[in-house]
Amino acid sequence: MLSKPNTPDCAIRTANPDRQKNSLSLKISFRNARRQAKDYLVYFVTIVMAAALIYSFNGLVFSKELLELSVRMAYLPAMIVFASVVVVCIIGWLVNYTTGFMLSRRSRELGTYMLIGLEPKQVTGLFMKENLIIGIAAFVPGTLMGSLLFQALRAILLTLFGISYHFRLSFSPKAGGLTLVYFVLIYLFAQLKCRKRIRSMKIHDLIYYEKINEDEVIQKSSRRRRIFVISIVFGIMGTLLLMVGSTIPSFAGAACIIVFLYGFFISFSSGVPAWFESRPEKKYRRQTLLVFRTLSAKLASMGIVMATISLLFTAVLISLGLGMLFSRMFHFRAEQCCFDLFVSDTDIGVGFAETDSFEQRIDCTDANTDITAAGKFREYADYLHTNLSVADELQYPLYLSEDGVLTDYLEANTRYSSFYAADMVMKYSDYAALRAMLGYPQAVMEPGQYLVHCMPWLKNAIEKYSLSAEYDTSVIYTKEKLAQGNVYTEIFNQYLWGGNGYNFILILPDDVAGKYAMHSICYAVMTDEEIQEEQYYDLREIFYRTGTSHTGIFDVENYGTIEARSQKKRAEASEVAMFVFPLYYLALILTMTTVTILTIHQLSEMSRYRQQFTLLRKFGMEPREMVKALRAQFAVYYAMPAVPPLFITVPFILNFENIVEPEIMTGTGGALMILAVTLGLFAAVYAVYILSAYTGLKRNVLV
Amino acid sequence: MLQVKNIEKYYGSKNHVTKALDRVSFDVEKGEFIAIMGASGSGKTTLLNCISTIDAVSAGSIVLEGTEISELAERELARFRRERLGFVFQDFNLLDTLTIEENIGLALMLNHSDPRVVQKQVTEVCEKLGITDILGKFPYQVSGGQKQRAACARAMVAGQSLLLADEPTGALDSTASKNLLEIMTQMNQDMGATILMVTHDAYSAGYASRVLFLKDGKIFNELLRGKRSRPVFYREILNVLALLGGDLSDVI
Repeated sequence: MLSKPNTPDCAIRTANPDRQKNSLSLKISFRNARRQAKDYLVYFVTIVMAAALIYSFNGLVFSKELLELSVRMAYLPAMIVFASVVVVCIIGWLVNYTTGFMLSRRSRELGTYMLIGLEPKQVTGLFMKENLIIGIAAFVPGTLMGSLLFQALRAILLTLFGISYHFRLSFSPKAGGLTLVYFVLIYLFAQLKCRKRIRSMKIHDLIYYEKINEDEVIQKSSRRRRIFVISIVFGIMGTLLLMVGSTIPSFAGAACIIVFLYGFFISFSSGVPAWFESRPEKKYRRQTLLVFRTLSAKLASMGIVMATISLLFTAVLISLGLGMLFSRMFHFRAEQCCFDLFVSDTDIGVGFAETDSFEQRIDCTDANTDITAAGKFREYADYLHTNLSVADELQYPLYLSEDGVLTDYLEANTRYSSFYAADMVMKYSDYAALRAMLGYPQAVMEPGQYLVHCMPWLKNAIEKYSLSAEYDTSVIYTKEKLAQGNVYTEIFNQYLWGGNGYNFILILPDDVAGKYAMHSICYAVMTDEEIQEEQYYDLREIFYRTGTSHTGIFDVENYGTIEARSQKKRAEASEVAMFVFPLYYLALILTMTTVTILTIHQLSEMSRYRQQFTLLRKFGMEPREMVKALRAQFAVYYAMPAVPPLFITVPFILNFENIVEPEIMTGTGGALMILAVTLGLFAAVYAVYILSAYTGLKRNVLV
Repeated sequence: MLQVKNIEKYYGSKNHVTKALDRVSFDVEKGEFIAIMGASGSGKTTLLNCISTIDAVSAGSIVLEGTEISELAERELARFRRERLGFVFQDFNLLDTLTIEENIGLALMLNHSDPRVVQKQVTEVCEKLGITDILGKFPYQVSGGQKQRAACARAMVAGQSLLLADEPTGALDSTASKNLLEIMTQMNQDMGATILMVTHDAYSAGYASRVLFLKDGKIFNELLRGKRSRPVFYREILNVLALLGGDLSDVI
């Protein structure tokens, strides 16, 4: 009779050998995962950062506080989820690529496990467990960091909405859950691919897997020269098409860029050695030999990867540039709305004769008539006076001059594109009242003069206009000639049509202006407190109900507009959250992913580098020269995938000035500034990875 | 050409010191082909490392063509190595990203030779060693024997005065070993190369004009070939090895 085992440990061993085997395999997996995380620290840090970013953006999806900031924020979750799907694909690619890469580096070890009797299923399980452990280990600190990152996003959004921010650390289980779902999807995809790969390999394949070299894609030199030339042509075509700015050419341009990058890297990797082969005097100069051979070896084995990375870098730079451009546009549009409420209508009054004066139509000056009751905008005024404290208000007409001399001049000499056929005109008295309402200094108009109020980008051209011999710069009406006086450029609701003129307006003496045909009537209001979103929607309801909206018909003769400063700000904040945030989110994830892949490749060659420099030291290469060679090898390696995107994105971003309204691209919003910040942001993230890789490599290689 | 005087080399810490070389002295004349033999741990490689300036001696002096190498600073040592010494290793130590021509040209590049004449000089040496047909190939595309001949070419292309070979036939089959040793003999006799070769292999040592036997860090014996034939010299080497007490694997 068998005696009972004495210890619980022994009981487990006897009663459940499978469990014991599993615990051993888990132990090995844990140990290997720890080693992997150390070896592939850059990858691990990137996964942690990715988890942090995904969590923080998921935080936006589930934040009631932020979604209730504006009705417009209702679309934010959809935008973030859409961006997250792309992010999941990108991170999935990173995990899959790195797992495959680790497999190639450790195939001998896995083959050895099989050699000593482990079943393929067990080996697969071992490898998959390791990667899962890395994933879980990254997920936990990632979500914690994400909580902090979410606070940063929350702070930015609240500031954009003009709400004071108070730090409040919290964890959203819903955001954490969604992040977990994304991570499960990412790892499931990578694990399934990896399992398929390992199971299809035999022991021999695994042991010799790392010795398999990637063949050069194109062998014949004449063919690769042709491909090289064709790819350059595609690159130029693609860049030009992208610069056009409209939809179909943009798609065609993007396709050309893809062809260019793949063609360029595949042919270039084979072309470099051929070029040096015929120029030995260049090859043996200083460290050139070592640098170009390292580069060509890299490109031969990872040309397709380099092209993909280069393509993604292009996407990153374009995303960053567009993000900044959108941000600038949204901000610009918001700040152009200077009145708390502004309504305009081309319907200048029903039941009045064309010849009736403005005062007859809207009897503002009649002391017996209540302004709010008699005016065109009576219902708006009623609502405002009932619900808000009105600080100042004015209803005023705009006129159209008989010709468009200044309009023609601006169209001929600037990028101005007219909306009205003639120049828009305002009475000086109304202008003065509006300036006072806005707190601007009084505008000086001498007798016999007219003034111009325009957007800053037109000021120089308009001032030159007064000196122009080609144009009659005076305003003539019934034999009265007025000379151009001062040009004012404060914000004056001139950005879009339907405001105080389109980009500019002429200010004439009241008696002269009044002789022109009336074009539209406007209602400008300043309130003591901000118009709330619900109040704005009430006013908009009046806008639609009373017909000011003209049932959505928009032409120069027939339109109405309504704008509220506070609502514009809310729109800006919502648009930034919905369009700019996802673009930056994608750009950051893409940069981290691609640089991680580049860095993993670089660091994985540590032993080859070490062997190379040990040998060179034995041969008498001086330490100073070794540092130079290592730096040059490093610089060329990291510059290779980054240079072609620069040739594409620099003209693309500089071309922003031609595709958006010119007034947006001035000062700090200029294309050069956008380009500088875009490249700066990209370079900052890139530099962090490069420096960390270089430091590690230098420490281990140049010992 | 080379004077090794009473060199000693110690490894280890205060509590545990290993004496790898114990008052070793010998001279090498210009144009000599010397083999250093001994069992594993006898100090052969340490001696070669000290002569090649990769390792520093604990005591004694090494003078090569009038230069006391223990007195040289790190930068001067690097210069000394690239101008005076050529290396041939057991595992070839060719850089796998460079072609055979570039691996050989590397020695000239490190010596800051005129880039325009590098290719010509490499071709000249390779013609002598019979490897011009593999110049455009990468190390993984050629045989072990060809790799080792390329390493020999690299060791002498820049006009180095002393060729240091560490088990050069260790990774080669018997035919390739024989070819290499004949090439080394040719380099020694026709091209005037001075060779100092460390080897386990009595057959390889038979090609040398003099053999130094090391045991426990000391020179145990010295054999001069003189006018004897190689088979006779080989047998004498085997006799000394038997006296030396090396096991069979050291002898074969």
